[in-house]
Amino acid sequence: MNSSNTASSPSRLSLFWHKWRFHLNVLLLLIPLGFMPKYLSEAALFRGDAGLGEREVGEVQVGPWSLRLAEFRNEAPRVQGPAGPMKHFNAALCQSCIGQVKATYLRIGKPRSLRAAGVIFFGSPYRMGALLPVPPKTQPDAELWITLEGWDGSMHQASIPMSQASPSTVAWLKNQGAKP
Amino acid sequence: MSKKSRSKLWFLVHSWLALPIWFFVLIVCVTGTLAVVSQEIVWLANPDMRASKPSDDATLLSYDQVIAAIKQAQPQTQVQSIIRPDESHFALEVGVTYPDGRPDTVYVNPYSGVVQGSAPTFNFQAFTRALHGWWLVPFTNGYSWGWYLVSFLGLPLLASLVTGLVVYKRFWKGFFRPTLRIRHGARIFWGDFHRLSGIWSIWFIAVISVTGTWFLIQALLGDNQISISSEPVIPVVARENVPLSADGLPPAQVNLDRAIEIARQRIPGLEASFISLPGNAYSHLEIGGRGWYPLMFQTATINPYNGDVAASRMLSDRTTLEFVTESMRPLHTGDFGGLWIKLIWFFFGLILSMMVLSGLLIWTKRTALATANAFKRSQKPTRGARLAQALQPSVHRESEGSL
Repeated sequence: MNSSNTASSPSRLSLFWHKWRFHLNVLLLLIPLGFMPKYLSEAALFRGDAGLGEREVGEVQVGPWSLRLAEFRNEAPRVQGPAGPMKHFNAALCQSCIGQVKATYLRIGKPRSLRAAGVIFFGSPYRMGALLPVPPKTQPDAELWITLEGWDGSMHQASIPMSQASPSTVAWLKNQGAKP
Repeated sequence: MSKKSRSKLWFLVHSWLALPIWFFVLIVCVTGTLAVVSQEIVWLANPDMRASKPSDDATLLSYDQVIAAIKQAQPQTQVQSIIRPDESHFALEVGVTYPDGRPDTVYVNPYSGVVQGSAPTFNFQAFTRALHGWWLVPFTNGYSWGWYLVSFLGLPLLASLVTGLVVYKRFWKGFFRPTLRIRHGARIFWGDFHRLSGIWSIWFIAVISVTGTWFLIQALLGDNQISISSEPVIPVVARENVPLSADGLPPAQVNLDRAIEIARQRIPGLEASFISLPGNAYSHLEIGGRGWYPLMFQTATINPYNGDVAASRMLSDRTTLEFVTESMRPLHTGDFGGLWIKLIWFFFGLILSMMVLSGLLIWTKRTALATANAFKRSQKPTRGARLAQALQPSVHRESEGSL
């Protein structure tokens, strides 16, 4: 092709565009391909491959009983609809207390009574989950209270600092405080 | 506007609806088709999922017997839920948790109670559904944008159906005189194929596009916190209704077979096909299954300590609007009447995928011809020939390549 011809015929770019414009949507396939590792790691998380959660908090002694606590995701609370930011914790009761513990609760700040013990855990005692509401105004030095209720009517409580329960939540709370 | 140019306009609209996104539409159709029979594919691949009868006169175990059998085989394992799939050749799917904190789904033989195996690590069913339903884009707050991307396709699909019927004059004649010319070249063949499969899948395209659009509406409602549900929120079991025990051990609970009997008294004709055990000391036992209307489930929520029915959700409890909206999902997936319905959905899913492809082939072949003709007519011979040369090979190559 000589130079006088190229001026009158369409440029390479427009030829390319003309030829491929209706096939460019093949690129949309990059979206699921890109999200594939995320999808598989999420599936593994829900399958329990990483244990109770992404970050194990550790064993917490609550009166005569104990439980293993974990952050399901090692990240700041997630906003889930109108209920505001929520933090997902998982827990497992100690083998010997499974038969004795009736219910497990989680609350930020000390509960005034058993009726206000906070959110209740759901699921098998080997792997229970609770969604804890975390108001953005929570003080970063707040404490997380765990309440265990026994089938005999007894109640035992323990607390751990938020910084131990979830450093990422504390970091998030400090950021929230910075905002006016 | 003249009649001819109006039909030409409709034709343009029809071709533009899918053309720029044909590959996306094609993959959504193909993954949807796979998702319809994903359970069956896993069944073929995984013998653990099959419910083989140990002997001809074997009878199905009751739910209590199933739990007892699991307890005996794995005393430590905790059972959370049991699903009895619609088709009798599937094993029971039991949701369990192991002492190490791992949740699992195990396949249990409904006749012998034998735990046949765990669900494979890669969940093919969930994967095809996630790929088809939301293009794998994760849900973080509300519906994922992938869900919107896919469900939005309901609208062009519906428009394709309408414009297709407008363009195909007197399409009903095609029912009586089916035409599929094989020996007249690819362009004629794909045109005939597109029209023939189009008229026979009018009902299917209508169902898929309307239900697909419903998924879009559902996401819009959900993300804007608009609820159309008439279902009441069931309060937890009251503290005073959960018995205390002097010995500190959990009180006895109503056995499952008794609970199903209670549920049947409340909901006549209930086929208990799933059971969800209480999630904690203050939550209920839930029993559900289909009734006379196969597209919806009915459930009974039962106090596990005294057997009282705390709530029930029957067909008659639904509003007219809910009858329509709750039917959308089963209509979309074809999962409401066993294997044969699924196979019909699968077959028409294939046809629909082929329609996307044949539409594209028709377009490439017609445009190739039209472009060449246009150049022959309007351009100087030398330049026209050169341009046609530049354009044609690409168009031909790709259309032949797809054949």
